[in-house]
Amino acid sequence: MSSSVLQFEPELSQPLIQEVMSRSGQNLLACYQCRRCAAGCPVGDETGVTPDRLIRMIILGEREEALNNLLVWKCVACYTCGTRCPNNIQTARINETLKQISKEAHIEPLLPKVSAFHDVFLRLTSHFGRVNELVFIGLYEMRNAKRELKHGGGWKAVADEMKNHAKLGISMMKKKRMHFQLNRVKRLSEIKRLFKKAKDEAGG
Amino acid sequence: MQIAYYPGCSLHASSELYDIQCKKVFRQLGIELKEIEDWNCCGATSASKTDDFLSVALPARNLGIADASGLSEMLIPCSSCYNRTLVTQKILYEDPELKNKINIELSKKVEGKIRISSILDILVSKADSGEIAEKLIKKLEGLKPACYYGCLLTRFPGDIKISDNIENPQGMETVCKALGAEPIDWSYKTDCCGASAAVNDTDTSLFLMSKIIKDALEREANCFVTTCPMCQINMDAYQDQVCECYGIQKKLPVFFITELLGIAMGFTPQGMQLDRHFVDSLGLLKELKLI
Repeated sequence: MSSSVLQFEPELSQPLIQEVMSRSGQNLLACYQCRRCAAGCPVGDETGVTPDRLIRMIILGEREEALNNLLVWKCVACYTCGTRCPNNIQTARINETLKQISKEAHIEPLLPKVSAFHDVFLRLTSHFGRVNELVFIGLYEMRNAKRELKHGGGWKAVADEMKNHAKLGISMMKKKRMHFQLNRVKRLSEIKRLFKKAKDEAGG
Repeated sequence: MQIAYYPGCSLHASSELYDIQCKKVFRQLGIELKEIEDWNCCGATSASKTDDFLSVALPARNLGIADASGLSEMLIPCSSCYNRTLVTQKILYEDPELKNKINIELSKKVEGKIRISSILDILVSKADSGEIAEKLIKKLEGLKPACYYGCLLTRFPGDIKISDNIENPQGMETVCKALGAEPIDWSYKTDCCGASAAVNDTDTSLFLMSKIIKDALEREANCFVTTCPMCQINMDAYQDQVCECYGIQKKLPVFFITELLGIAMGFTPQGMQLDRHFVDSLGLLKELKLI
């Protein structure tokens, strides 16, 4: 939270809470801070911010904090918080919405690799209709390398990351778990139309 | 009997062995899996995290194709694909406007009539009816699996009712018991392995897996069994790294449920492709004289 004194400006908090509620489909106002979500969150210890805290931030209109905290980026979408919530609030859905808002606002993600992962995953789906793991990892690593070089991680960071994945890649090859054939959908035009419509929907 | 089958991307790539095993085991149970034509990626959690429309539209195309197959039931072995597809079917049922919007773009329209089944939905009914017992060549005596469900088989981002208990599911235990194995009771069966975090936030994923592996070892399991290709590959391929980071001495093979069925039904380890595991699984089976 940004300050030690609780500040609440209803007119400032309204737009954020309305946007998150309508996009995520979750009724954040039903949260009465029982913290069952926090008790079950597998990444809560690491993130500091637990689902109940995140909901409170949004209600208080703390836009910047709500978009820039580790929970949004480390959430593993296990849906434990939502299934245990007495009011059926799915914070994992809220995290998904916050990631989308953050991307639209061009905010640099706290964990850029997470964001790169999902972007590349969808990009490949739009190209082939299916995800080909080998192409996926290749593109994902290229995206990471580009960012490291641009933001000062340098070649060492790139090499370390590549080394880790190369090791896994070699053992996958040994175990015949690596797949070299390119899978694709035949009626790709349909997939392209769905992606175009998604873009139109987001624009509208 | 014929049912529709959606393998998803994993089962046509790194978890191809699961695809082969599913077809073999189900044939033995009298079910022919008919792969739906020209299916696409379900979008997995990546679509949900990036674009709400696509997270529904991608599985919707598969649902349209499945509805057009004329079959009444579809098996989806991958937990993530199963979860996304089931959630999509419900969203489209509740939102006809969205359904029409998506259907305009599809050559095979979603009708919403096909029943979506997880692999456990079908296997539990075959265990209860005694059909699994009829096909057994050997009992899996001495095998003490920690039945690992992971997240997406029982928990959904929406109000979806399933027949099993969400916090302490028993379906996999039912199937294992029908095979003569002795599944252990443990606390981490529905905990998360990290899924895609294994790739994009590795330390988090290793930590989550360490808790799962430690509990299974403390409860004296001698293997894991799972139905999810993501859980399987994470727990299998990263187990070395987890054990190294967290000082865990013993490793546990991670079986697909179909592998246990296959071995009990008399398939060879080669036929089940058990050599494609990272943590050796043949040693334990030999030790227990199951192969």
